[in-house]
Amino acid sequence: MAFVKKEITPARPAPLSERSVIGWMHKHLFSSFYNSILTIVTMYIIYITTKGLWVWGIADAVWIAESRRECFDISIDGACWAGVIAWMDNIFYGRYPKDELWRVNVGILLLIVWMLPLWLPRVKGKIFIAITLISFYPFLANYIFLGGESSFFSQFMVSAAIVSFVVIMLNAIIGVIQGQSISTFIATRLGSSLKSEKSQRNLNIALLIMAFIIAFLWQQSWVLGEVPWTKWGGLFLTLVISGIGIATALPSGIILALGRRSKLPVIKVLSTTFIEVFRSVPLITVLFMATTMFPLFLPEGFVLNKLAQVIIAVCLFNAAYMAETVRGGLQTIPKGQYEGAHTIGLGYWGTMGLIVMPQALKNMIPNIVGNFISILKGTTLVSIIGLFDILGMLSSVSRDLSWIGLHKEPLLFGAMIFFILCALMSKYSRHLEAKLSTNRKT
Amino acid sequence: MNSNTPMDNNAAEEKLVSAASSEVIINIEKVNKWYDDFHVLKDIDLVVKKGERIVVCGPSGSGKSTLIRCINNLEEHQEGSIVVDGITLNKNLKNIDHIRTEVGMVFQNFNLFPHLSILDNLMLGPIWVRKMPKAEARATALEYLERVKIPEQADKFPGQLSGGQQQRVAIARSLCMNPKIMLFDEPTSALDPEMIKEVLDVMIELADTGMTMIVVTHEMNFAKTIADRVIFMDEGDIVEENEPLQFFNNPQHDRTKLFLSQIL
Ligand SMILES: Nc1ncnc2c1ncn2[C@@H]1O[C@H](COP(=O)(O)OP(=O)(O)OP(=O)(O)O)[C@@H](O)[C@H]1O
Ligand SMILES: [Mg+2]
Repeated sequence: MAFVKKEITPARPAPLSERSVIGWMHKHLFSSFYNSILTIVTMYIIYITTKGLWVWGIADAVWIAESRRECFDISIDGACWAGVIAWMDNIFYGRYPKDELWRVNVGILLLIVWMLPLWLPRVKGKIFIAITLISFYPFLANYIFLGGESSFFSQFMVSAAIVSFVVIMLNAIIGVIQGQSISTFIATRLGSSLKSEKSQRNLNIALLIMAFIIAFLWQQSWVLGEVPWTKWGGLFLTLVISGIGIATALPSGIILALGRRSKLPVIKVLSTTFIEVFRSVPLITVLFMATTMFPLFLPEGFVLNKLAQVIIAVCLFNAAYMAETVRGGLQTIPKGQYEGAHTIGLGYWGTMGLIVMPQALKNMIPNIVGNFISILKGTTLVSIIGLFDILGMLSSVSRDLSWIGLHKEPLLFGAMIFFILCALMSKYSRHLEAKLSTNRKT
Repeated sequence: MNSNTPMDNNAAEEKLVSAASSEVIINIEKVNKWYDDFHVLKDIDLVVKKGERIVVCGPSGSGKSTLIRCINNLEEHQEGSIVVDGITLNKNLKNIDHIRTEVGMVFQNFNLFPHLSILDNLMLGPIWVRKMPKAEARATALEYLERVKIPEQADKFPGQLSGGQQQRVAIARSLCMNPKIMLFDEPTSALDPEMIKEVLDVMIELADTGMTMIVVTHEMNFAKTIADRVIFMDEGDIVEENEPLQFFNNPQHDRTKLFLSQIL
């Protein structure tokens, strides 16, 4: 008896439990007697704790008051958010002068706008964006934040940053509208009379030089009063330190990891020693040592301020950690990938840069972002050696005469800020992972 | 083995005309290699002429892979000399990089780059090593994809292709570098039987173009079709070497006889 199917089975919608809210709840929360009891008990516990938090933090909280005393007078068991609100500027900016706060905002805004085109799919030349961001933005930010007299070198870099920023913005606009890069746009619109690639390149270079001269002259008219680093603080200072730490950790970690795997004994031993030394010492110790010992290594008469010492220490420490993360990633790449790369003639750098690193880093995204998160959180240790980062500022609230003893609310507020920043980072890491793994399964 | 290979038994009759010339392209003299204390290659001598097609066979662990991997320096030999296309393989990294651009290699498990599309896999070498303009590299890549009969897969990623297709991409990737010599290390052993033929067909076509080829394989019908010479290795020695008909019909050495009786 042969069987031949005559009709194709039609597709049916999935069962209710997969689609409706009630179906979902039934399947996941109340599937059995014990499961139902567990759900109810858990919900009750959540209810009690959140209710207490709600009453203290929102319902009975005091938002407007002049001092902690006044808070107590209004509501004895409510949170005194008025203290946090009064200190808000300090929590965000430290003792940065009130009239100059716009500079911090502009600096951070510039960073965000600079990076924005990286996420626009139609924009070309993303490598250029990243390279200029790393090489020029720090000087621009440094000048905006610090102000005062600036050296010729600093003016030069600031001008380069201005030009890059303008080019990137134009490039992004042209990319979004036309889907072209700015140089092809110029070549097709203005340079149609120019035949060879070479004369087009010359045109681009000429335009860049002109823009640079204009930028240089323009920035000379800038007058920004000096705000010494001792006035920097709060979340701003935390972001400066951890931002530099995050930006340098990956490149220096990659270099150290490659060094540790190098066939050259000197490089291998140096990298390994560096990594192991920094990994076996707690960050707080490194920070103390940095502020007391760096002066011993520096040439006579050369003074490094405490902030610079701290930043260097944070960078070195995190480079060592990142190096081990990257090394772990490198170990996931099979030998065949190296051999495949060698057989098409790629040398060491080509193999690493085009074949091994891209795959290793992709595999490592969760760990790398985990590292970034711990850099951000670890930076709060600088408050122990006397810098007023966000944690330093939050704990200063309780020493303010008007808000004396106010601990809980500022710390809770700080926790919320960290939670938001870290959650954003890890959310983005998951998004990135999902995006990179589509189509590319092995 | 023989019974389920997809090639006809009378394949030997369709034997390709030899393209071998008198010009020597690979000269291996008295090569010895050890892994720690283990002597893998023992006094190997081998001369390959331009356009010659050589099949290497032998039991597992006899040193076949090691021998052909020495030719493009994926493994280093400790004694003796290997000269490829007039360049001596030594510690000089420039020589090694140069030889690797002239010698293509295809592996048992493909070793494609999973993070790059098929097209990018093929264009990588020409662009970064040969410094070819992008458009030209693209055209070359598409041409070779056509030759291995999978032009429609250009924008996919390696993980989305079948084993046979991946191996053909790997062959095309090597050919894009326009090599003078192609090495194959058991290119079909990781494939399901129905995919073996598509890969062997591509290799036969390649042999037809006069490419110098050294192929480690146990596909004996394939050997009869394309080989000018079959080399039998055992325990790091070249034990027997002959033209294919003689080699299969009239093996001389006892170890060859034993080996052939096991695989045929
Ligand atoms: N990296 C290595 N370190 C130590 N021993 C090795 C290494 N690679 C291969 N060998 C040994 O060298 C010998 C020859 O290996 P090779 O891979 O050349 O054999 P083969 O003839 O290709 O075998 P197969 O048919 O299994 O591929 C084997 O005994 C193997 O165990
Ligand atoms: Mg082998």
